[in-house]
Amino acid sequence: MGHEIEILALAAVAGVAGGILAGLFGVGGGVVFVPTFVFLFSFDQLDAQATSLAAIIPVALIGAWRQSGEGQIDWRAAVLMGGGAAIGVLVGAEIALRLDEATLSRVFGAILILVGGEMIVSSVRKLQAKRATPAPADGPRRP
Amino acid sequence: MDLPARLRQGNLLPFIGIGVVAGLFAAMFGIGGGVVIVPLLMLVAKLPPRMAAATSLAALILTSLIGVVRFAGTGHVDWIAALLIGVPAVIGVLIGIRFQRRLPAEWLVLGFGVFVIAIGLRLVIWG
Repeated sequence: MGHEIEILALAAVAGVAGGILAGLFGVGGGVVFVPTFVFLFSFDQLDAQATSLAAIIPVALIGAWRQSGEGQIDWRAAVLMGGGAAIGVLVGAEIALRLDEATLSRVFGAILILVGGEMIVSSVRKLQAKRATPAPADGPRRP
Repeated sequence: MDLPARLRQGNLLPFIGIGVVAGLFAAMFGIGGGVVIVPLLMLVAKLPPRMAAATSLAALILTSLIGVVRFAGTGHVDWIAALLIGVPAVIGVLIGIRFQRRLPAEWLVLGFGVFVIAIGLRLVIWG
């Protein structure tokens, strides 16, 4: 069936796209994987999230292995954050049962927009400062 | 160096705190931990952008493993589907890292800012 090949090809494209985001930004790729499982494989939300976590395991392993070769990883921090996250997930699941999730999501979304805005402003400022005083090694030198 | 001395040397609490916050948000909003971990590593722990992204990936090894174990009871992990996405994603992560090495840190932060805003907008609009 041609349809299955189409689905496999789309899954591969979504996988590569999520992986690129993972490598670039250090996120898992779930932001791409979960909707892919929902729309392409007709999974319900919970199965999609569970399967997305499984797909993230090899991405995180290979990505971290590649980055650690360059000395980019603070392993102590990584292990502590992983342990902390285990506690946070348990507490978060309890809170989610008791509070209005839609409102919480909007508040959290607003915080993310502010954080993202701050990142954009600070990086643009740094880029402008760089342009104003170019490093001596960069660019063509004029006598 | 013995372990207690090593523990005294650096302040470890921020990292545990960042993990807890990431886990909280992951469970409450169904978003991955990386979106929370990377900005906090840069803002609180003052890691440079590339190191923050790389260290976040390393933390995700543990969180995704723990997540799969936790979900084993409630959601069903479809391992075939996970491989169909996961294997191409491994290729993707290698491309992403290669790209990241060539990207100046400021552009990396700029791109991440756009990415975070997109996720924020999604949460605000669809709850």
